[in-house]
Amino acid sequence: MNDFFPKIAELFSTPEYIDSLLHGFLLTMQISYFALLIGVALGTVIALIDTAKRSKWLVVPKFICTVYTTVIRGTPMALQLFIMFFVIFAVKGFPSIITAIIAFGLNSAAYTAEVIRSGIQSVDIGQKEAGMALGLSNFTIFMKIIAPQAIKNIIPALGNEIITVIKETAIVSMVGMYDLNMAAKDIGSGQNMASYIVPMFVAALFYLATIYLITFIVRRVEKSLRRSDLRGEK
Amino acid sequence: MDNQHTDLVVRNLKKSFGENKVLRGINFELHEGERVVVLGPSGSGKSTFLRCINWMEEPTSGEIFLDGVRIDAKNVRKMRRNIGMVFQHFNLISNMTVMENLILAPVKLRVMKKDAAMKRARELLRHIGLSEKENAYPASLSGGQKQRIAIIRAMMLSPEVLLFDEPTSALDPEAIGDVLSLIRELADRGMTIMIVTHEMSFAKEIATRIVFIDKGRIIEEGTPKEFFEHPKTERVKEFLNRVL
Repeated sequence: MNDFFPKIAELFSTPEYIDSLLHGFLLTMQISYFALLIGVALGTVIALIDTAKRSKWLVVPKFICTVYTTVIRGTPMALQLFIMFFVIFAVKGFPSIITAIIAFGLNSAAYTAEVIRSGIQSVDIGQKEAGMALGLSNFTIFMKIIAPQAIKNIIPALGNEIITVIKETAIVSMVGMYDLNMAAKDIGSGQNMASYIVPMFVAALFYLATIYLITFIVRRVEKSLRRSDLRGEK
Repeated sequence: MDNQHTDLVVRNLKKSFGENKVLRGINFELHEGERVVVLGPSGSGKSTFLRCINWMEEPTSGEIFLDGVRIDAKNVRKMRRNIGMVFQHFNLISNMTVMENLILAPVKLRVMKKDAAMKRARELLRHIGLSEKENAYPASLSGGQKQRIAIIRAMMLSPEVLLFDEPTSALDPEAIGDVLSLIRELADRGMTIMIVTHEMSFAKEIATRIVFIDKGRIIEEGTPKEFFEHPKTERVKEFLNRVL
């Protein structure tokens, strides 16, 4: 391994390699970004149905949500990805990036739903009662009181989910997609590099830097949301 | 239609939580300017009774009328504007400043314009000596301050009746005094009030009528003098022996 640093230098000085890594990184980020959008949107819907008051209109939707989250959280992501690729979207010519986004989005929705549900339920019941006693509508109570407080509980856990999704998308290389992980493998198998360790190490740095940045942003958002908990003034 | 001066009528109110029958048929009237203190052992249903009046808990059966209008699922939101409520744990909205707490309902319900609501809020804050807390968040206030702000928040909508659900149970002795004197002041100004409390001496002082609830029923009613000095039932005698 005494050629580790020279190899790293070689990798960074070869535009072709950097190009591959950046292409892979772009795909990883594209899948993650859109999957998380789907995850948060669908997860919010599921969480709202889940936390809504029991009524005859919601019996079936509530049941569907329970089955959905149970199945998604109870089966491996890799398996869900394979089913999407080789069963549900096994149409020739269907863009694989869309299949991957849907697979990860549907998966993330189940976890995000749990995060949002517990965030909503952790808001003190007295806060809702205050709004009720003042004659406010359920919608106003949710938008003005419940949601702003729930978000404070949701953001840290949602940050976790973002991190999980970004790293988990690495398994798309199993269905032949050229993401960051695949780019590393590709470079490593090339004649010139002839080493998996170096490109994998660099790919790891890419993941690490991205996630470090996201953690930083989430912390900042958290902090600004917690302003009203401080003993200060507006 | 009930007599003109009747504010609130409760008829055969029952409330169960699953198998647990908390209220077993309550008949009650509250007239304008009255100050009714609801007493009873813990678990007797007195808080549930109070919470059923503005439908914080939906009654299992029975009827509640405010000024002759029956409260139901459709009109309950509108009715709540006329029934202010103060909670044991204050329930100030924690993501809003004191001012935002005070003007939220009047502005949202279009009872007042924002400017007018802020003006009234400032007057009330000045009155309770907390003007400087206008922009503070609830987390920075003491219990007594929170409860007095919760009381003026309920007053912002100028309700016909104010319900107090154990307003001093979560406070330290000094804060209790502050909150009680604010309630006393509202009483002196003719506010119609219903209080669930454990403060016996305050009950004696402020009540025009005492209602005693046990096992989900009103078992005795009377003026404070009658109630404390000449209780009619064994149950109340036993209760008074224990708490006085």
